[in-house]
Amino acid sequence: MKAARRRRELAIHAILIGILILTFLPLAFVLNSSFRTNSEMNHSFFGVPKAAVQAAEITGQKLQGKSRFEVANSSEKGAGVESLDFGDAIRKVGSQLVQGYAYAWEVLRPYTLNTIFVCLATVFGVVLVGSVSAYVFSQCRFPGKGTLFMAVLAFMMIPGVLTLVPSFLWVKQLGLLNSHWVLILPYIAGGQVFAIFLFKSFFDGLPRELFESARMDGAGHLTLYRNLVLPLSKPVIAVVAIVNILGTWNNFLWPFITNSDAKYHVVSSGLYLMGQSTVAANRATMFAAYVLASIPLLILFLYATKPFMAGVTSGAFKA
Amino acid sequence: MAMYAMLTPTFLLLAVFSLVPFVWAIATSFFDYEVGAEAKFIGLSNYAEYFTDPTLLSSFGNLAFLTAFGLATVMTAPLIIAKLIFSLRSERARYLYRVLFLIPIVVPGVAGLMIWQGMIYGDSGFLNELLRLFGRDDLTRGWLSDPQTVLWAIVFIGFPFAGGINILIYYAGLANISDSVHEAAELDGARGIRKFLSVDVPLVMSQIKLLTILTVIGTVQGFEGMFILTKGGPGFNTMVPGLWMYMNAFSFQRMGYACAIGVILFLLILGLTILNMKYFRSSEDLRAEAA
Amino acid sequence: MFRHSFLAIILILGAWALWPRGDVEAGAGPTSISNGKPRKYTIRFAPGIYMPGRRPMDLGQPIQGLAKVAAEFEKLYPDTRIEFTEAPVGQREYLVTQLAAEQAPEILNVNVEDVWQDVQKGWYIALDDYLNRPNPFIEKGKPGSKAWWDQFKYQAISRGKAAPDAKMYCLTYDMVETGIFYNKDIFRRLGLTIPKEWPEFMAMQDKIKRAGLIPLIVDKSAIADWGMDLIFDQMYNSILPGIDLVQDPIREAYMEGYLDWDEISFLNSKGFFTRNDPRFVETFRILKSWRPYWEKNMDADGTKLFVTQQGAMWWNGSWAVNRLIRDPDVHFDWGVFYLPAIPKSANRFADGHDQVVIGGSGTQFEVTNSAIDDTHDARTSIKLQRTIAFLQFMCVPERVDAVVNEILAFLPNVVGAEPKPELRIFHEFLQRKYTTTKWLYTFDLRFNEIFRRMLDLYLEGGISEGEFMDWMEKNVRTASDTVVRRKGLDLSKFEPKWRSLAPLRASMSDLPTAAEAVD
Repeated sequence: MKAARRRRELAIHAILIGILILTFLPLAFVLNSSFRTNSEMNHSFFGVPKAAVQAAEITGQKLQGKSRFEVANSSEKGAGVESLDFGDAIRKVGSQLVQGYAYAWEVLRPYTLNTIFVCLATVFGVVLVGSVSAYVFSQCRFPGKGTLFMAVLAFMMIPGVLTLVPSFLWVKQLGLLNSHWVLILPYIAGGQVFAIFLFKSFFDGLPRELFESARMDGAGHLTLYRNLVLPLSKPVIAVVAIVNILGTWNNFLWPFITNSDAKYHVVSSGLYLMGQSTVAANRATMFAAYVLASIPLLILFLYATKPFMAGVTSGAFKA
Repeated sequence: MAMYAMLTPTFLLLAVFSLVPFVWAIATSFFDYEVGAEAKFIGLSNYAEYFTDPTLLSSFGNLAFLTAFGLATVMTAPLIIAKLIFSLRSERARYLYRVLFLIPIVVPGVAGLMIWQGMIYGDSGFLNELLRLFGRDDLTRGWLSDPQTVLWAIVFIGFPFAGGINILIYYAGLANISDSVHEAAELDGARGIRKFLSVDVPLVMSQIKLLTILTVIGTVQGFEGMFILTKGGPGFNTMVPGLWMYMNAFSFQRMGYACAIGVILFLLILGLTILNMKYFRSSEDLRAEAA
Repeated sequence: MFRHSFLAIILILGAWALWPRGDVEAGAGPTSISNGKPRKYTIRFAPGIYMPGRRPMDLGQPIQGLAKVAAEFEKLYPDTRIEFTEAPVGQREYLVTQLAAEQAPEILNVNVEDVWQDVQKGWYIALDDYLNRPNPFIEKGKPGSKAWWDQFKYQAISRGKAAPDAKMYCLTYDMVETGIFYNKDIFRRLGLTIPKEWPEFMAMQDKIKRAGLIPLIVDKSAIADWGMDLIFDQMYNSILPGIDLVQDPIREAYMEGYLDWDEISFLNSKGFFTRNDPRFVETFRILKSWRPYWEKNMDADGTKLFVTQQGAMWWNGSWAVNRLIRDPDVHFDWGVFYLPAIPKSANRFADGHDQVVIGGSGTQFEVTNSAIDDTHDARTSIKLQRTIAFLQFMCVPERVDAVVNEILAFLPNVVGAEPKPELRIFHEFLQRKYTTTKWLYTFDLRFNEIFRRMLDLYLEGGISEGEFMDWMEKNVRTASDTVVRRKGLDLSKFEPKWRSLAPLRASMSDLPTAAEAVD
């Protein structure tokens, strides 16, 4: 019995690890390719970055006692070869290795702070507005409640392309172009809908008695919301926050057309711009840019995984 | 009264940033209009024209196929993986797997598509290189440009459909199933697949229902994938209504016509969601019926 | 504890990495190059491939040519700042929204045919007045000192870019042309020489194919664009005098019988460009019979196939030179030739005239409505004056040389700036006659979309010739209707000229049945 159980566990591990490998393979490929040049990829699609190989060779030769190393000035034809000492050689090869990152970083760096600011402001707004409205929809009785709730949800069904141009012309009339507000306010307006849905499912699942006993003690809505609902909602807030940050982080078209002033560009529109421009021919740069753009989210995840998983597991995701 | 006041921010934001543009779009669908020029009222002509549009049949056919396939994958792969993780004994391992499967969501969607386009389906991508390795050069092709393979190539993007939040959502549903249910089922003699289908699946119906709605909305609205991968080609073999709407709005300067397509899509989504809400039974409904 | 110190380290590193840096060196900044002081006029400039700080095609050092020109200009005009920016001009949603909101970059680099769609909306500034006056930055006696126009080397092609309303909205800064790049090593091995006529060209490709190589590497979109225009011209040249209805006073001198979309619409109403037009059908048959000699998977990276010597020839633009010269893995000799003519003996519609050119204007700069946002009047706008001044400043030959010749992709279009020796062959190609018409890009954009897709599907065997002609017939018809509707065009104005050409047409054979019936 025990042995059979053990075999079964091992089989499950094997299957899961297999699926994980398939899932991560493309990502590993991106990481690898971000260190390779176009011409390297032309000659062998799969392979280790040349510059990394060269760095390893140089180190190997150093260990064998060599002191001067031949390094090409660039990977191009006719680029001269220099004879360098170990430190300089490694530095040179290293800079060739991360060339894609250097260019991607140059483009994305000025946009990163904007993105972080817009994300934080949007998340704050969505959580606040969304949770208050969801609280009302979940815990209060008033005429027209069901209809109003359905009306809110119906906004999820409007195709984004349909309203792209009207929204643009409209925010232009409102005088919002080229500001942070042109991103934050529509993002809150759009993001709150799914947030209200999640918050409401979560609030609906809280035990009724909690609210009733608190109300017996004479607590008003504000007190209830602040002292009871918010503390209990931490996990679902984490979910709403992360879902929103992902959306905000990846949305490229809207920020791009509304903010022509580079001062307000965000990372995703920077990526979009790179993809459209002549730089797109530099695949390494594009891949490096994707890796760079993912890093802040990865850090966020490192710290938010626990509450996020608790939130998803809290049962708000159901219809 | 206080209730309405508390809802004001929500409705104010929706009215200003969502309703106004939506109403504008509906109104525009009755006009012959291009941005920067005069609008001319033409009644329902845009709608009538769409019903004779050369892309109509193929794009709705494709949409149906994509939705069906999307639903099939979202209902199976993540659920099975969630079940596999859930049936592990070590809490540590379960946690680790959930985290690992979650990580890919940090990769921008566009990046994911481009990776598949180049790495898997490219001329020297994984599939073709594999075929060449086995000496079957004759079978190599442009997977995304060959009319025979393009649709399947598109739906298999993201295989094994494991990365992301869906596994967690199902996991949550499974975790809510109490041990007594499992024991009762085992006493009834239900085991393995049968137990999975008769005990687990009905209990995650609420999650399936939500993911169904979200998948339908996402697929009907979506066009970015096709835009990046095939532009709806070869020919119109992978055209979808959303992409045709986009092209009419921006490439062909036919804003009014594009708005008409958009309104039709909105109505389609609305109808499907209502059907879904009405006829799709959640686990709560099932429980209520059983009682 | 660990989690917290890790977070602190990340935050500190992040703050350090993201701290706004004021001291961006001139030329190194990614989006804007300026020197600090607030200036009254900011001219945003999307220069396309010449974007300073970028390495076009992932090759060479970051380019700086335009940044230096801008710095010089800013010294001369302390009230003006030139800000370089990238703009996804290929994306219509970007162009349309930015121009409608008057916030596009002041100078854009778009193919001018894209601009023609929108000129009636006042989104672009016509440049004729400025082109006809002197360029103030040119010394007396040199070309350009009387009229800016005189500076341009390829007069025919540059002036041919006038919009259908006869105004000039673009400045052609450089030239581009296509050619057949060929691998001399493979040619030597197989005993091949540069083909003089079409049948020889085809036989040669057959020989290469039998040797197990790809005869001709070509991009899918290049066939619908270049391939269609060249074969179309070969088929229709002999009847052109009988169907060319408009002699445009400004453009005709240079374009010699160019058919614009108004004429195409009219001719279509006379049965041309339908399945009843034998020449039209034949054009696609020739393309189809050529298809077996291109790479099997047309999504493949052509550069890769040519560089790795899997293909013997590569139909590409002059920009490929930049790649071939600098690629470390090109270990073979290569050359360039132009496509050979189809002789009378090989096709009953052909007359054996030399293949025309289809490239021409490379980088085209347009001035947008943002340039007059200070006064909203082109006559009084100082900002517009500065914008024009900058373009004129850029056109001084030494500066053109510094900008264009930094990359081995295009040929300078200004007298006094010579092309790089590696590109001189394209200068020879450009002496040829210009194409009869450009099917892609100049007309309705919906037409493009359907044409490109269906041609591709037809060539790949996805649909039959009958189905394809069906699509094309409807497509040309719808596009004609759209042109007539959008421009308020009265087709009957062509009737007198059409009738006067009837005697000429009487001597021509194989005209569409409808066209002959009317006569």
